Amino acid sequence: MSITMLLKKEIEAKPAGVFCPDYFKARALNDNSSLSAAEKRGEACFSLFAFSPAFIYKNDLIVGSRRPMFVDLPDKELKECTEICAETGERCFLTNNDHFAPDYAYILNRGIPGVIEDIDNSIAAYSSQNGEKRIVNLLSMKKAMQGLLRMIGKHIDLAEQLKGAEGYNKSNLDFIIGNLTTLLHGVPDGFASALQLVWLCHTCFGYEGRYAMALGRIDQYLWDFFNKSVSSGEITENEAITLLENVFIKIYEKRAFGDGDDVVNICIGGSNENGESCVNQLSYSVLKAVKNCNVPGPNLSARISDSTPDEFLDECLVSIGTGLGYPALMNDGANIPALSRYGYDKKDVYNYCMVGCIENFIPGKQPPWSDGRFDTPRFFEYLFNNGKGILNGKTSGIDTGNVGEISSMPDFLKRFERQIADGVKKYVDNFNRVNTPENPEDLTSPFLSCFAKECIQSGLDINCGGAKYSSVHGAALMGVGTVCDALAAIEKTVYIDRSLTLDEIREALLCNFEGKENLRQTLLNAPKYGNNDDLVDKYSKWFVEFHFKEFSKYKTRDGGPFYILMAANTSNISAGKLIAATPDGREAGEPLSDAASPTYGRDKSGVTATLQSVAKPDYTLVAGGTVVNQKFLPTMFSGENRKKLLALIKVYFKLGGQEIQINSTSPEILKDAMNHPENYKNLVVRVSGFSAFYVTLDRDVQLDILSRTQQAV
Amino acid sequence: MTLNVSNIQHFSTGDGDGIRTTVFLKGCNLRCPWCHNPETISPKPQILNFKAVNEQIAYGKSMTVDEIVADITKDELFYDESGGGVTISGGEAMLQSDGCAALSKELQKKDISVIMDTAGCVPFGEFEKVRPFVDKFYYDFKTPDKEKYEKVIKGNFDLIQSNLEKLIRLGSSVNVRIPLIPGFNTSNEDIEKFKALLLSLKVKEIDLLPFHRLGASKYEAMGKQYLYRDTPVLSKNEINSIFDAFSQNFSVRIET
Repeated sequence: MSITMLLKKEIEAKPAGVFCPDYFKARALNDNSSLSAAEKRGEACFSLFAFSPAFIYKNDLIVGSRRPMFVDLPDKELKECTEICAETGERCFLTNNDHFAPDYAYILNRGIPGVIEDIDNSIAAYSSQNGEKRIVNLLSMKKAMQGLLRMIGKHIDLAEQLKGAEGYNKSNLDFIIGNLTTLLHGVPDGFASALQLVWLCHTCFGYEGRYAMALGRIDQYLWDFFNKSVSSGEITENEAITLLENVFIKIYEKRAFGDGDDVVNICIGGSNENGESCVNQLSYSVLKAVKNCNVPGPNLSARISDSTPDEFLDECLVSIGTGLGYPALMNDGANIPALSRYGYDKKDVYNYCMVGCIENFIPGKQPPWSDGRFDTPRFFEYLFNNGKGILNGKTSGIDTGNVGEISSMPDFLKRFERQIADGVKKYVDNFNRVNTPENPEDLTSPFLSCFAKECIQSGLDINCGGAKYSSVHGAALMGVGTVCDALAAIEKTVYIDRSLTLDEIREALLCNFEGKENLRQTLLNAPKYGNNDDLVDKYSKWFVEFHFKEFSKYKTRDGGPFYILMAANTSNISAGKLIAATPDGREAGEPLSDAASPTYGRDKSGVTATLQSVAKPDYTLVAGGTVVNQKFLPTMFSGENRKKLLALIKVYFKLGGQEIQINSTSPEILKDAMNHPENYKNLVVRVSGFSAFYVTLDRDVQLDILSRTQQAV
Repeated sequence: MTLNVSNIQHFSTGDGDGIRTTVFLKGCNLRCPWCHNPETISPKPQILNFKAVNEQIAYGKSMTVDEIVADITKDELFYDESGGGVTISGGEAMLQSDGCAALSKELQKKDISVIMDTAGCVPFGEFEKVRPFVDKFYYDFKTPDKEKYEKVIKGNFDLIQSNLEKLIRLGSSVNVRIPLIPGFNTSNEDIEKFKALLLSLKVKEIDLLPFHRLGASKYEAMGKQYLYRDTPVLSKNEINSIFDAFSQNFSVRIET
């Protein structure tokens, strides 16, 4: 068994107690009750990093575990700690707490002592200009960094103690001690110590209770270290991969401990400002390491540009084809022009990565990300029901008149736009209210601020003007397929065929098509998004343009933009449950279409048609990011077929598609397709001279395919 | 000019190089009992009713060459990127040789490659019509045994043999495609006979198409019985040994 899999086994032994960083923070907050809020938060970080126990797995090569945060004490004692911490307050996702990509390049370049030196220089500069508040911030940042040094010292001591302990290997412990000692005194001197530094920082973010902290462009900021260590023969490429695995497998800790995934986005590839490919040997090593780990948690993204070598894209497909589903493929050709709209420096734009699932982010240059869901199909309710919800009867929209009066498609669309515009305004007002804490300066993030060097230069917290750019908020638009299908159905049935009236449709929506199956079938027979048919696809272009225009009217609390995203992250299911029947023939409570994809099962003209439809909107208006899911049987990932898949993706990206997440259908997916064929109507089985939809096959033939898939995995 | 089209399949991956669109034509003059496309046998429009998933799929409509070309050219970028194109299949596409010629001619003008997939049981004159516009023939050769061919498949063995021989002699690019049907053409004796015959016809490239039962549900959806419903598929070992046998004399691919 590889050291990585041995480590995985160790990780899978769940720790006793509960995850309670508050236990370590509370002692600092209790002891220092006379300090200012910012000072307290620096002390709390210090206490958290310095006084929590060290932990080293038997198979660790790079240390940093969540395990020390598990405290096995009586509830009463922990509750007191939690109450003490609650008094000082904490940010959350909607107030820019996590979903951040740190500037690891800066930390690696300076080392911890260097960062502290930079902080000291900044303190000295502000001392002469009455910058008391800034100095307090800087001192709290320094305190956090000192906590990190203590954490390193603690791990060195533990490694020494563990020599000779059962199951521990002395040379591995020496390796760890060597790397940590380097970090204690200066800058990393090679790939191993650089990776160790990055992972310790990430571990600390976890201690602070943050999640979805990205590792970002690891193949770029670690490249010099990797190149030096490998070309000097200090380590082999395979050893470097093992080290990466030692880190990536620990991302799995959060899930193994029963606490959900630590959605850690890792970004490889991309192009630089000169249009040259950034793919290097480390990009391939990261791909291999993630593939070898085969655990949920590391969210691997690959930036693909015109200059990306086919060989790299092909390697991505190999990884996807193992059933892992990663990397998600991101098109630089859409993302870079999208981000360039916001006045960011060119070099920053080209250095973008992702946080969370797919959200575009400029590492270390902006406050942590936030987003929310915007369920556009809801506005059909208000349009058809004079501003009132059909299901809940509440007046949540505006009265745009009786639909029976609407005489043309442009008029219909205009009134729909008024409903959406009103919804956008309410969404933004609501978000800005939630996003603006009463005393933002009491909620500083001293440790996080060290990963944005402008915060150190300015002495300002990352959320209080320290970051280079303002905060952005993403509105994730849901139901593009539902909306396009609904608008096309109205255009076709009411204005082209004149087979239905808006009053008839209204009545049908109000009663959820009860007794009106024929009318519903008429709506279902109209053109559907995902079949490369402009009659319906033109509405997807409108959808993106209109939402972009509306959201662009508003600013976040610190003057940043509202991005749009074409993503839903399964909220399309929960949102759908609350939304009445829609004019596309969808019944009340059914899911909305997923992310930027057509409604499941309605794209029946083949994947080339689906992708051409999906690529039609202008994604350079979608700065937040997009999700398009496609499933293929495992046979698509081998031999000649994989070349065809590669060509498919290249064309999709040339056409302006923003993202694609490809899944090789695992046995689980195929079983699910047998039980829920309605969700898999477009899954195609391809053989020579023949093709069929998987769901129409005989059950025993489906089982044949299933068993072949199991053998391949 | 119109063609009787069963269906048009985009992103076909088993019908030749690159990403292809396969135009399945309706109507066939052979009666292979293992046929996986039973909906293409009759020239009449048909609706298949997949009861288990409450799915009705209609096959068969008359389309003009222009309509077909318009549908095909939607994927031109994909053909260019992948070195793909169009495969005309069936049914027996050559029964509509005039339509196929007109369609292929239009596609040739647009630099879209055309593969003609046929079982060859038509007068050679039909081939003459399409030959100038077609890049390659996929020529199904189901058995080297004249008696078996005429008894089971109900075709004219001498005709398909002489057509293949003429195509090769005239310099057409031809892949011979052999469906590997358990119990019909996969014994050692069958394979040896195949090899001898194909060598004498100067065949160079062979594609092996192992039997599968994917078409079974179509029979049910047509209210018909499928004689190969319970025939087990060939094992990997069986396929590999046939592959090895052919590889001694031909350039062979296994299409799955």
